[in-house]
Order: sequence, then structure tokens, then C-alpha cells
Amino acid sequence: MAAEGHRGEGGELTARPGADETGTRPPGGGGTAGGVGAPFARLVGVSKSFGSTRALSDVDVTFARGRVHAIAGENGAGKSTLIKILMGVLQPDHGRIEVDGSPTAIASPAAARALGFAAVFQEPLVYPHLGVLENIFVAGPERSRLGDLDRPAMRRRAAALFEQLEVDTALLDRRMGELRLGHQQLVLIAKALIEDAKLIIFDEPTSILSGAETAQLFRVIQRLRSGGSAIVYISHRFEELEAIADSVTVLTDGRVAGAFEARPFDLDAIVRLMSGRETRGYGAAPAAHRAGTTGPPLLEVEGFTLRPYFEDVSWRVSRGEVLCFYGQVGAGRTEMAKALFGDLRPTAGTVRMEGKPLAARSPRQAIRAGVGYLPEDRKAEGIFATQAISENIVATVLGRIVARLARYVRRSEVRNLTDSQREALQIKMAGPSAPISSLSGGGQQKVILGRWMVERLKLLVLDEPTRGIDVMTKAQFHEIIRQLAEEGLAVVVISSDLPEVFEVADRILVMRRGRIVAEFANDGTAPPEEVLRQAVALDQADAGARGASANGNGTIVDVGGVSVLVPSGDPEEKEVTGQ
Amino acid sequence: MTDIGIALPKGVSPDSSPASSRVRHMLGRIEYEGYLAGVIVVMAIVLTFTVGSAFWGSTNLSGLLLDVAIDTVPAIGMTLVIVTGGIDVSIGSLVGVVAVVIGLSFEAHLPFVLVLLIGIVVGIGGGLVNGAIVAWGRVPPIIVTLGTLSVFEAITYQLLGGVWISTIPAELTQIVVLDRLGPVPYSFIVAVALVAVFSYIMARRPIGLKIYATGDNPEAARTAGLPIRRIQLFVYALLGGLTAIAALMTVGQSPLVMPTTGQDFELTVIAAAVVGGTNILGGEGKVIGGLLGALLVEMVEDAAILYHVNSFYQQIVLGAMIVAGVAIGVARRRARLGAKAER
Ligand SMILES: Nc1ncnc2c1ncn2[C@@H]1O[C@H](COP(=O)(O)OP(=O)(O)OP(=O)(O)O)[C@@H](O)[C@H]1O
Ligand SMILES: [Mg+2]
Repeated sequence: MAAEGHRGEGGELTARPGADETGTRPPGGGGTAGGVGAPFARLVGVSKSFGSTRALSDVDVTFARGRVHAIAGENGAGKSTLIKILMGVLQPDHGRIEVDGSPTAIASPAAARALGFAAVFQEPLVYPHLGVLENIFVAGPERSRLGDLDRPAMRRRAAALFEQLEVDTALLDRRMGELRLGHQQLVLIAKALIEDAKLIIFDEPTSILSGAETAQLFRVIQRLRSGGSAIVYISHRFEELEAIADSVTVLTDGRVAGAFEARPFDLDAIVRLMSGRETRGYGAAPAAHRAGTTGPPLLEVEGFTLRPYFEDVSWRVSRGEVLCFYGQVGAGRTEMAKALFGDLRPTAGTVRMEGKPLAARSPRQAIRAGVGYLPEDRKAEGIFATQAISENIVATVLGRIVARLARYVRRSEVRNLTDSQREALQIKMAGPSAPISSLSGGGQQKVILGRWMVERLKLLVLDEPTRGIDVMTKAQFHEIIRQLAEEGLAVVVISSDLPEVFEVADRILVMRRGRIVAEFANDGTAPPEEVLRQAVALDQADAGARGASANGNGTIVDVGGVSVLVPSGDPEEKEVTGQ
Repeated sequence: MTDIGIALPKGVSPDSSPASSRVRHMLGRIEYEGYLAGVIVVMAIVLTFTVGSAFWGSTNLSGLLLDVAIDTVPAIGMTLVIVTGGIDVSIGSLVGVVAVVIGLSFEAHLPFVLVLLIGIVVGIGGGLVNGAIVAWGRVPPIIVTLGTLSVFEAITYQLLGGVWISTIPAELTQIVVLDRLGPVPYSFIVAVALVAVFSYIMARRPIGLKIYATGDNPEAARTAGLPIRRIQLFVYALLGGLTAIAALMTVGQSPLVMPTTGQDFELTVIAAAVVGGTNILGGEGKVIGGLLGALLVEMVEDAAILYHVNSFYQQIVLGAMIVAGVAIGVARRRARLGAKAER
């Protein structure tokens, strides 16, 4: 790509490119006990390759005390690799790390911990069968005088943190695997904070958090920053960078393409640097949509109910239509989709497909009936983790490829399918036979989407399809979704991302607390604020009164002409209680 | 549902939860082990009414409890190994090696206690070999231990040279079999004591937590910097040492060392662990389950003898119990994953 050196495109930037080379360099060798803004950790000329993939090349970046450093970059740009090197999970091929000005080897995760580094990794690394408390303390448990686990002491420390994060302390007594994703993420955040770390890294922490939980996290980050911690923050959501970051470093193909040291950040310039090419116009006006629905309904859902997740939900979708379900995390959309897909059993209601009753009792039956579902929790439900990328793509078509002609999986067909998806989705990979675990977080998501694209379906349900996807690819995903609809597929998109909803939807249904509370046609007449308000049930005055600061009760950020509210209402608790 | 081996923190402050959930929790806590104990009690009752005197006779009962002890001691180690996501199928032939070594040592008139120590050292050594290859060799545990199974067998044959060793001092039989508290052999008491110690370690010591974590999510454990390799080495070495104790008891029980000593023993021990609720997928299992599993397995075997069932069928029953134990473990996990999907 174009970004050969990170000084190349300086002319277009509002901020200084390569700012890590200036200003923040530690004076001489001093500054072990530096104050706010004093450099704490520094990567110098760090490179890392996986086989022929260059994940990082010659990266210089400095993390200073009391500042929030954002790192932006496309899927596969090397962000998570950089984090893993800092945390001692990976070793750099070249370059060095300096902590407080002196070169330091971080040979293991334990060494990183000893240096006061903590991280919330992109992949939720949980122990599902251990208690929440045990999950938090597994690496550094509190001990009694005799060296036993001191659970009361651990409980006290964890409870204090949970209160800061506004998480119910009753969760401490649960098993980790019973918690919903958002709560698991909050537990992992608590785990990173428990050690009073000096450098705290968040790798896409908010992708599975509700707006309220995000706001809470931001408050905690602000507090850490005032406390003098260095914070590294990775996100694909630009509105979050605006809300929380003090500086933004852009990684492109493993190189530092530029750095921005002061708000407001020039988002267009960031996007340009990320892609190394001209932007397609991030946040462009919503695409024009055909008015109304087309033809008779393909799928009709009546009185669909599974308490406490969703109740009396009725809707229909036609061929060629993109129907979006918008709502807060926990509004019951995922559960409804799973019930449709045969993964959960609804207690009431009927589903008709092309006029005929459809009651999928297993995902297998649903797929045979022509319904596909891209799950929200891709790590747990979507990936065959130890299998090759190509096998993951063809996982559901396998039967058909085998059935046709030969009794063995036809290699050439697998290859063709993989190649076409790789092309269409621009998946960065060493090769189709590489394990899917070697892909970046966003790359894995693309593979799963690719799997459904090769399947022959009538209805495709996409649950948060662009979570963890960079902005450029996101636009591409949206195009693909529109295209699938044009080819005659009915597409249902579950999304908590309002700009996305307006980008792809023909029709928008808003769900709140398990019910459909509003319907909008996306023909230019639906005001985004109103859709948002329906989802969070704020009345007008209330919403208007909310300030635009991350410390307030909610944040309204303008992204590409669309207002995004990060509200701070009560997150809806949807935990499984004792089975 | 709450079948992980750690004492869940719910017990720490029961006052914080409402009474109903406390009851539900207590029920949840005893769930699997409770059922198992129930099955054992039912079996004992059935045996009482059908072959009562033969079952409760002190010869039968002592013999049964000794068999349970011999299975339980290594089942503790097996539980830990399976919790880390591993398995060890070599322990039967490791019993053979230990038996031969102590037999030869007795033949050489080494002091009694020294012989016992040599046996245990050999057992730990065998376990260390397994553990080291699993930890550093990146070879699946089933393959590693299948390999060492053959190697241990070859060593036994080589050392034994085709003859049997029968010069086992009566002293060993005395302490293993004959020393009793009522009908309860000391060996059984030792086994129960070991279960208590390791239950405590798994529930209360940091190492126990780390062992569970290693098996529950190896990737997370690695990223968290847990000493996974040392943990693996530890559990296999421990299993080796406990296997050696079982070998000493076996030789005390039948003071004769043959090429077949210990054969198929691994099946019984694995059965005890998985029937006891240890999940073959790793991450969950309790030491106490190994004891209950051993009790059940040995009672079934005892019943088969009392009912004069062909030993051919006994093998089938043992196999069926292993399969059922594994299947139940996997099904329970799937049920729980389903529950999770209902967030
Ligand atoms: N263990 C591995 N083996 C092989 N290749 C890897 C491995 N880990 C990462 N890579 C490759 O290195 C590159 C950078 O990956 P990384 O995970 O750092 O991306 P990222 O910037 O975090 O992307 P995302 O936004 O999707 O999370 C990708 O091309 C990825 O496929
Ligand atoms: Mg990443």
C-alpha cells in the first residue's frame, strides 16, 4: 500500500504525522517518576511477522502517563499484534520496548504484569466454568496467612470495582459462562483494573457493550487517566475516539501511517491514512432506498414469544428487502433470531415461510428451509476454531459439495469458493489452509459472513454483522447486504449501530425490552433521533437535556451527519437465573 | 449444575442471597455427587435384600473397600489430569513397572521402607516422563501415554525376564490388607485422607484454581501467563506417584508380580474419574467424585461376582460406564451452553 513511510502524506494532515518522534521523547534517560504526559512505555522499531504476513514493521509509538492513546487501523493492520507484544504474549522479531526510558524485555505475560501492564484482549478470554470471582483473580489471587485463597478479600476488592463500573455485585457469585457477553466483557475489564496497572490496554472493549455500559467504561477510563495511568484504546468506532482519546495513532499494514495529537481529530484524514487510498466517503449520506416493500411477504412472524426475552413479536419481510432491527443490547433481538433459527424454542407464536408453517427445531432444519443466521458471539458459536479458513467458509455447504458428483470434499470447489469470498471480502490471510485463529478479529468475522454468502438461502439474518469491522470494510459489507437483497434474498439485520441501520435498511423495526415498539420506513422521512429515542425510551425533553460530554449522563456525537447517542440509562439485565 | 471442584464463592456469604436461592443453590451444589451417592445407596440396598449376608460379610466388604482404595488413590491424580484437559492411559503398565521394581528390590533384600520409597520414586519418574512430553512435546496426551504404555510394558517384560516374583514380604500384605479398623482396611482410610487433602487443595489453594483454569480455557491461561507446563508436569507426576501407591497396594493384595500385573487398571481408574463427574473436555471435576466413582464401579463389579455374572459381561459393563460417564459430562456441558445461549 501507499504508506511507505509515515511521513509521506503530511501535507494533508491537520495533525503532525509521526508525532511519536517529536515532543514526547523522554529527556535524556531521566523521568522514572514522571508526571502527566511523561512517557511511560515506548516501542522502538518493532517488527513482527507471521510467516509471510508482516503484521508490524518498524513501529515507533510512545504511551505517556495520564493520556489515552487511541490506535486506529483497518482489520488486520496489526493493532492486536502490537498489544500482544506489549503484554508479552508475542515476542517482536526486531526492535525494543522501553519502559520509563530503559530498554525492557517482556518475555512473558507474567513479566508484563510485573511491569504494571494490564489488558482487555479483543478475544474474550474467559474461563466459562469458573466463578466470576475466580476469573478475575486467577493470575494473582489474594491469599490468607496460610497461603489459602482468601475469597472474602478477593470479593471485597472485586465488589469495589464492580461498583465503580456499576455492575451488579451479585454477578460475582455466578459462573462466568452464564453471563451474557456484555457482562463477561465488564468482568474482563474489572480483571484488567484490579491490579492498579500503570498501563492499561483496551482492544475493542465496547463492541459488545451497551451504550450505558460504554459510558460507564468511559467514566472509569477518565478516572484512570486523572490517576496518571497510561491508556491504550483500540476501537473501530470513531465517535468513541472523539469522546475519549487524547491522541490517535494510525496503523496501516503494520506501519505507523500517522499520528494525531489534538482534538478534534480529522476523521477524514484518519480514514485516508488507514486505507492508504482515497476514502469512499465515510459517513456519506444514506443510500437511496426503494420505497416500500416489494411483493408478498416471504416470512411472516406472528405473536412470537419466549419470556423473558421477547414477547408477542409480529413482523414480516419480503424478498429483496432489508429489514433492520434496531435496539439496545439486551432488547431481545438476538434471542428472537435464535428462536427463528431453531436454536431456542419459542413458547408461542407462528412463523410462516412462503405461506407454509415453518417451525425449525434445530439450526439444521432452519438452514434446510433456507434460513441463515450469522451469530453475534462469533467466538463461541460461529467458528470452528481449529479448522482452516477454507473449511470454515464451506462449513455449511459441505453437504452439497459432497453430494454433487463425488463422495469426497472436492478440493477445487472449496478453493473456488474460498477464493471468491476472499476476494469479495478482502480477507487478509496467509492462505486458505491457514487456521482461522491466525486471522485478525475482523478477519474471522468476514470468514463467517463469507460462509453464509456461499449458502443458497431465502432469508439471511445477520446479528451485528459489522461489529469489529473497520470503516472501509463496513461500507463494503453494507454494499454486499444491499446486493444480496437485490438478488432476491430477504435480509434481516440486527444492529445497534444507528448509522449502519440508516445505511442499509429499507424498513426499521425498533425493539425495546422484548417488544417491537416502533416501525419506520427508511425513505428519508424517519428522523434518526426519533428512532434512537424509541429504542432507549427517552422522552424528548430528557434526550435534549443530555450533554455532549463523556462525563455526563449521555453523549450525543455527530458522526457523518448522523447523531449517535451514547445513553446512560439502565442496561436491561438479561441474565439466566439458576437453571 | 454447580459441579466445578472449587467451593463456589456463594458459600462465602450466603447471607447475601435470599433463602430460596440459597436452597436452590445447595441443591445445585450437591447435584451430581448427590445423584451418584444416591445410586450407590440404592445399589447397597438392592444388594442387601438380594445377597445381603454375602455383601455385608466382612471378607467381602473389606475386599471391596480395598479395591475402592486402590482405584481411588490414582483416580485423584486422574481427575486432576483430566481437569487440565489431559488423559493418561499408561498408568496400568506403570503399575506393572513399579510392581516389578519393588519385587526385585524385595528380592535383593533392601530395607522395607526403602523399597516403598523406591516404588514411589519410580512412579513419579514415570509420571514426569508423561508430563514432560505432554508439556513440551506438543503431542496430544492420549498419544503420549499410549506410547509410554508400550514402553512401560516393555520395561516390565524386560525386568521380569519371563518369571514371576513371589518373594513379597508378608509385612506388606499385613499393612495393606489385614490392618483394619473394624471391616475398614487402613488402605481405605489412607485413600479417604488423600481425597480430603486434594479436595482442599483444589478448592482452597491457588494451584487448584490454576489447574481448573488451565483446562477450562488453555488459550486464556496462556495469555494470562499461568505456568501451564509446570502445571501439566505437576499433575502427571502426581498421578505417577499416586499410581505407585496403588501398585504397592496391589502387590500387598496379591503378593505375586506377573507380566500382567496392572493390566487394564487404567480403564477402571478413568471410569472412576469420569463416572465421578470429571468432564473429559477439561475444566471441571471434583476429587471426591473419583472416590464415589470408584465406589460405584467396584460395587458393580462386586455385584457381578455375587450374582455370578460372567466376567465377560463385567468388561462390557465397565466399558458402558465409561461411555455413559463421558456422555453425561458432554451432555451437561452442552445443556449449559444452551442455557448460555438464552442470555
Ligand atoms: N497467530 C497468527 N498467525 C498468523 N498470522 C497472524 C497471527 N496473528 C495475527 N496474524 C496476522 O497478522 C495481521 C495483523 O493481525 P492483528 O490481529 O494484529 O490485526 P488487527 O489490527 O488487530 O485487526 P482487527 O481490527 O481485525 O482486530 C493479520 O494479517 C493477521 O492475519
Ligand atoms: Mg484486533
